[in-house]
Amino acid sequence: MKTTYYSASMELSIPSELGYEVIARDAVAAFALRMGFTHERVEDLKTALSEACINAIEHGNMLAPNLRVNVACMCDNDRLLVEIHDQGLKHHTPAQMPLSMADKLAGLGSMRGMGLLLIGQLMDEAGFDPNSPDGNRFHLTLYRQHTVEHVPSQRTE
Amino acid sequence: MLEDELNVGIRQREGVAIIDLMGDVTTFAEEKINSAYREVTEGGARYVLLNFRQNDYINSAGIAILIGIVTEVNRNNQKLAVSGLSQHFQKIFRMVGLAQYAEIYQDEDEALQGFKSATTA
Repeated sequence: MKTTYYSASMELSIPSELGYEVIARDAVAAFALRMGFTHERVEDLKTALSEACINAIEHGNMLAPNLRVNVACMCDNDRLLVEIHDQGLKHHTPAQMPLSMADKLAGLGSMRGMGLLLIGQLMDEAGFDPNSPDGNRFHLTLYRQHTVEHVPSQRTE
Repeated sequence: MLEDELNVGIRQREGVAIIDLMGDVTTFAEEKINSAYREVTEGGARYVLLNFRQNDYINSAGIAILIGIVTEVNRNNQKLAVSGLSQHFQKIFRMVGLAQYAEIYQDEDEALQGFKSATTA
């Protein structure tokens, strides 16, 4: 028998201050659990959402305390979509290929920059909306029928 | 800043310097973790265990701190392991490649056994 889930949505607005991503994470996790996603998938979502919010706070809004990060969640029978929207002091253009661990250890770049790599591996879909007219819009999608394999995409030694 | 407290403890057990990390490992944790690592290294530690608590939050900034520790461990010819990570964060450590440089154990006892096996091998 096919399970029927009801459609639901939720919106949050947080200040551009590190630490608030944890509050957004916990709220969205509670929402996803209520919508019937498994504990394991919700753990993936928690990490991905935290990283997306940190990017919005640090890179999009550049830690300006008067700017907000909005988080909108929409869920239906097929998927959970979360959109993270900052007020875009800076257009966030991440590097095409994050450095491998070996490169980082060799001092070839910053120790940071793992956030988008993690998001890409944990979510079924994720990415920036290239046509956003007002700040950076980044979306995360979890499908109820999970088909993506978690294969590390980093280069190895 | 909405800062989450990380409590860091240092102790010795069976020749291993254990750094207990209780709380969130984020950008706010850098000084505490680096300070604990410096202290055990200055005390002559050859084997270092980062002992996490199952339910903690580790973000990419926290992972960056741990990559810095791996760099120092390599430079100082020490051996590093981690224990106490939840299944989720064990997966995260494998995804980012940290597992290539630090053995991951379920708990402290298993880690100590692992260090012992490595020294007798």
